[in-house]
Amino acid sequence: MANRPSIATGEAEVGFSLTGATPGGPTQDATTLGPDGRDGSAAPAVETASAADEAVLRHRGEFWPRLAWGTLSVASVIGLYWAFTLTPDANQVLTPPPPAVVEALVTAIANGSLWEHILASLFRVVIGFGIGAGLAVVIGCTAGWFRLGGYLLDPLIEAIRPIPALAYIPLVIVWIGIDEPARITIIILAVFKPAVVNARQGMKEIPKIYVEAAESLGTSKLGTFWRVALPNAVPFIMSGLRIGLATGFLALVAAELIASSNGLGFLISNSGSILRIDRVLMGIVVIGIVATILDALAVRLQAHLTRWSEVRG
Amino acid sequence: MSASVPAKGASNGPEISIEGVWQRFQRLESSTPFVALQDINLSIAERRFVAIVGSSGCGKSTLLRIIAGLVRPTQGRVIHCGEVVQGPHRSRGFVFQADAVFPWLTVRQNVEFGLRSRGVERSERRRIADHWCGVVGLAESADAYPRELSGGMRKRVDLARVYANDPDVLLMDEPFGALDAQTKERLQGELLGIWGESKKTVAFVTHDVDEAIFLADEVVIMSSRPGQIAARIPVDLPRPRTEDTRISDEFAERRRSIRKLMRELDQQHGAAR
Repeated sequence: MANRPSIATGEAEVGFSLTGATPGGPTQDATTLGPDGRDGSAAPAVETASAADEAVLRHRGEFWPRLAWGTLSVASVIGLYWAFTLTPDANQVLTPPPPAVVEALVTAIANGSLWEHILASLFRVVIGFGIGAGLAVVIGCTAGWFRLGGYLLDPLIEAIRPIPALAYIPLVIVWIGIDEPARITIIILAVFKPAVVNARQGMKEIPKIYVEAAESLGTSKLGTFWRVALPNAVPFIMSGLRIGLATGFLALVAAELIASSNGLGFLISNSGSILRIDRVLMGIVVIGIVATILDALAVRLQAHLTRWSEVRG
Repeated sequence: MSASVPAKGASNGPEISIEGVWQRFQRLESSTPFVALQDINLSIAERRFVAIVGSSGCGKSTLLRIIAGLVRPTQGRVIHCGEVVQGPHRSRGFVFQADAVFPWLTVRQNVEFGLRSRGVERSERRRIADHWCGVVGLAESADAYPRELSGGMRKRVDLARVYANDPDVLLMDEPFGALDAQTKERLQGELLGIWGESKKTVAFVTHDVDEAIFLADEVVIMSSRPGQIAARIPVDLPRPRTEDTRISDEFAERRRSIRKLMRELDQQHGAAR
């Protein structure tokens, strides 16, 4: 099955992946789950099942070395930084040593301010992602499947595609203001773009044979849309949504940098302006952790929804 | 016999009748179109198993797709049960060479697919699907996803899906072409078993002469460039046909005469060109 979700986002300028994994792309061990090509009418189910188990085992086998070397890698970077902060030239305010960052974290957790910022940011992401993703899936699927839908929507999608969501910030400020709706609008824009492009692509990637099979089984055009094109596009839609979640989170921080009185972006910008670099570093680490958790949740959902697929996100 | 949806036409008339069908394709490099099918006239009687053989590029698959309504002929028409074929219809089940099983559905959901399109009620759908899963030997894999199955098993799902939908006509486009020899023969035997019980009208496209002889009541030979019907040869081997049929002298004899005829046609064709 050539159902390889593409990552046609045009998002290179701000694109990043929260975990460093290629979103939606075929993972390394996915090939072992591929079509076995053999027939073996005798006991093929057993054979393929054991092949899948093998892949899982191999993946598990990779866990500890991956963790060990990963920890070493991160620890070395922190260690180098720490060593630098201990040199005589280092400024304790501009480059606070790691223990100071940990202390800032402990304080922020203890006085509850960290939770307030995290919740404020999560609230914006959830609302913005919900609206942006919903619009993107509806519009992307319509544009990708219905001819007239494509004629009408393709030019608009192509028009917004090369523009980074953050470029809309001045316009959003002028038109919507600097309050909550403005920040959520920026997140919606950031989520929308990769999600709509992938959803549309997913609808276009439908193998012709599936459509023909459905139609010769007596399925209507609309039935083919709902029961063939849409499920076939799920891996694409999901990888678009995952990228959308990442870009949305990125835009959130940017939006909070501009005008806000709470949220993780505000925490960083505010701390920076009063030279509390320990809190800036703490904020960056927390953003990384929150983003990683969100992405891990998205990965689990994606894996569940595409469990039928040979290529797993 | 279960109910078929479109009313059968005149009692003993042909089920499928192909009338003056031409298919031309515009070529990029030349102003004269490529003639894929030239004036095809063929009727297939009800409950007959007809195999269409020919070398690749003779237009046999195109012809089958025209019968199905998946392709519109440039000229001419196909009549099915008294009605002109306008597009795909569930009364003409199609089995593709490539894997057409939906990977996002389990085996049972695949088999139920056409029934759902028709609005068959859930418990009835389930009953029919389980029956056909059993017939093709997939009862135990009913809840598996296609990626867990081998190529041969997926082909069985495809067959069960088409059969569960109870078409009048089965159109099969080299359905076993991508399988290894052993699986292919096994599936041929299974197909004959199912067909023997339901006796649907079948048009089976293949380039494999042995397969055509083993399965069909009649072998239609097509020549290529342009695609034309060159000969129609009845195969009167007794049924039910078994693995013994394949190694019988009668089988060998028919294979020899058909191969000889095909070679002669080929040579004539070469001379004419």
